[in-house]
Amino acid sequence: MDQKILMKNEIGKLYIELAEEYNFYAPVINKGNLIYNKILNPDEIILDFYNSKIPPKEILFPKMETLFEYKTDGKNIEEIIERKDLDEYNIIFGIRPCDAQAFMLMENFFALGDIKDNLFLKKKENTVLIGIGCNIPKSTCFCTSVNGHPFKSDYLDIFMIDLGEKYLVEGISDKGKNMLEKLTWLSKSTKADIQKGEELSKKAEESFKTKLDVKDIEKILEQSFDHPIWTEISDICMGCGICSFLCPTCTCFDVIDENDQYNNRGRRIRIWDTCQFCLYTLHTSGHNPRDSSIERCRNRILHKFCYYPKNYDMLGCVGCGRCIQLCPVNNDLRKIIEKVNKIKEEEKVNA
Amino acid sequence: MGIESENKEIEKNLRDIARNLLQEKKVDAILGYSKGTAPLSTSPIIIRHIDEVNKLIWNNLCYMNLAKYLVPRIPQLKSPKGEDLKIGIIAKGCVGRALIHLNVEKQLNLDNIKIIGISCNGIVNRKRIEREIGEKEIFEVSTSENNIMIKGKDFEKKFSFDEYINELCKVCKVKSPPKDSELEDIFIGESREMKSIDDDFSDLKEFESKSPEEKWQYIKELLEPCIRCYACREACPMCYCNLCFVDQNKPIWFGKTTDLSDIIIFHLVRAMHLAGRCVACGACSSVCPMGIDLNMITRKLEKLVKERFNFTSGLNSKFLPPMMAYNMEDDEEFMLEEN
Repeated sequence: MDQKILMKNEIGKLYIELAEEYNFYAPVINKGNLIYNKILNPDEIILDFYNSKIPPKEILFPKMETLFEYKTDGKNIEEIIERKDLDEYNIIFGIRPCDAQAFMLMENFFALGDIKDNLFLKKKENTVLIGIGCNIPKSTCFCTSVNGHPFKSDYLDIFMIDLGEKYLVEGISDKGKNMLEKLTWLSKSTKADIQKGEELSKKAEESFKTKLDVKDIEKILEQSFDHPIWTEISDICMGCGICSFLCPTCTCFDVIDENDQYNNRGRRIRIWDTCQFCLYTLHTSGHNPRDSSIERCRNRILHKFCYYPKNYDMLGCVGCGRCIQLCPVNNDLRKIIEKVNKIKEEEKVNA
Repeated sequence: MGIESENKEIEKNLRDIARNLLQEKKVDAILGYSKGTAPLSTSPIIIRHIDEVNKLIWNNLCYMNLAKYLVPRIPQLKSPKGEDLKIGIIAKGCVGRALIHLNVEKQLNLDNIKIIGISCNGIVNRKRIEREIGEKEIFEVSTSENNIMIKGKDFEKKFSFDEYINELCKVCKVKSPPKDSELEDIFIGESREMKSIDDDFSDLKEFESKSPEEKWQYIKELLEPCIRCYACREACPMCYCNLCFVDQNKPIWFGKTTDLSDIIIFHLVRAMHLAGRCVACGACSSVCPMGIDLNMITRKLEKLVKERFNFTSGLNSKFLPPMMAYNMEDDEEFMLEEN
């Protein structure tokens, strides 16, 4: 399919045309934080940005989600069915390629096994991802080390390249192509536009400062479960949930039943959970196999760099760098990976 | 002397002290700060060998309260046999206050601690600067004369130091650890005689002049972005409970969702638990990923405790905090009397 051109001053027009049918999510600044919000006025959309603080996973996998609600008269229980979000259609405009890759990982996770998570999967199915390539990756970005690329379009429905005053637009999936076909007013691209897009892609790729060596990491981690390195890696970790709550691929949740006896109703909800919290693997017996930050830090790394490759044949990290930027004690993932790789070198020396 | 050269001198001194302590085997490890890899950050570090001492740094981004690492639940500060390691801790004023207060609450093993006191100029309000810089990447932060210099790709910005330090640092009168007779023997470096703090709490005037509705609105707007990652709690040297009230789940005590009511109840109950205990280090606000600044709440608590009980936390091991003392003469004007 041909690539099209969307002028930046036509985004309002795009919004008006699509917002009738879709919940239109895009980056905005809310109290100093860049997040993806449902847009009510297209002037709020921020187009000049690196990436959001809270990953767009929040839209399909919110911090808190009601699974079901009920009311009761003391004898009978009746389900309250009020939710409409599963029948609604969403657009996530301006999503970065790494976060789109993260949605693919989440989809794999929520679809694994016999019992599928239909809440997430239905919402994902109803969502169109309109992504923008990263012309200038941040210094903490490392997507090219973990099977990503600042211009990777594979997991998007529509891919756009920022050419300055305009976007070069390409339909990737059928969903995206169909949507573009309806937007007949988009202008045609020229050869020069396409060439400029290719140049930007190359320039972005070359600008990466962070390169992680993850080629042997699965094997090293598998053999290093009891290695003393985990004590060192976790020694300054305070045990907050930032690295996992703000990770675009973390999917853990906790299920809670809330009983509102004064109003004769109740609900079952799920909220974000993280392997960094003390209740995460606490057994009913009182035993906790991940009793301290040593085991908890190890779990986060092993999950992303060992268990994910084993179970899904891909890494569980997309290289967005949020955990690096936001860790309060600056326990830098890049350094952790470096230390893990050193285990192998040490073994070579010893052997 | 400018802030930068003061910092350099402090850094040199603390490295010398750390080197001596390790050399003379008076401590097994030094707990300090090291250079961060992300913009506007530093990283706590545990130094075990003399040749690593030069990794220790001191600047106005050393926002963590290191006393947190000495509360009993951190396993890394133990020997392989499970004994407590002897630790030398780099202590700015509020770390000193935290150590004194933790000592009052009997949470420290003083035999295993050496306190290396330093004088602090104030900690940069990193979240405010981050917010004002917006969607640009910061590469370098430095202090020059009375300014914080921020450099990034294609931009350079100057912030007034006095204006852009943490709100709590602006009103801090402690700076270096208070002198304390119980901790005298384990103390090295700078300390300051400080029986009480002369504080008019004028920074609270604006907040206090608000109507109850306006105050409620302020609190709601302040806390609304909270994602409940509990970084504030984890960074707080006074939050050392084995199981926090909000983690109690047999049965559940408080709602765990991000409904605004649940968010507010978490922060306000946590604040209550810090009345007369908060040492005004501002670590909670410095670590919040969403940039929530809790200083108004903690300052108000400090003022209430000072007014009612004439107590300020962490100034002296001999003063019993109101939560640990019972006094027949305490005001009870808040009790409702039956007619």
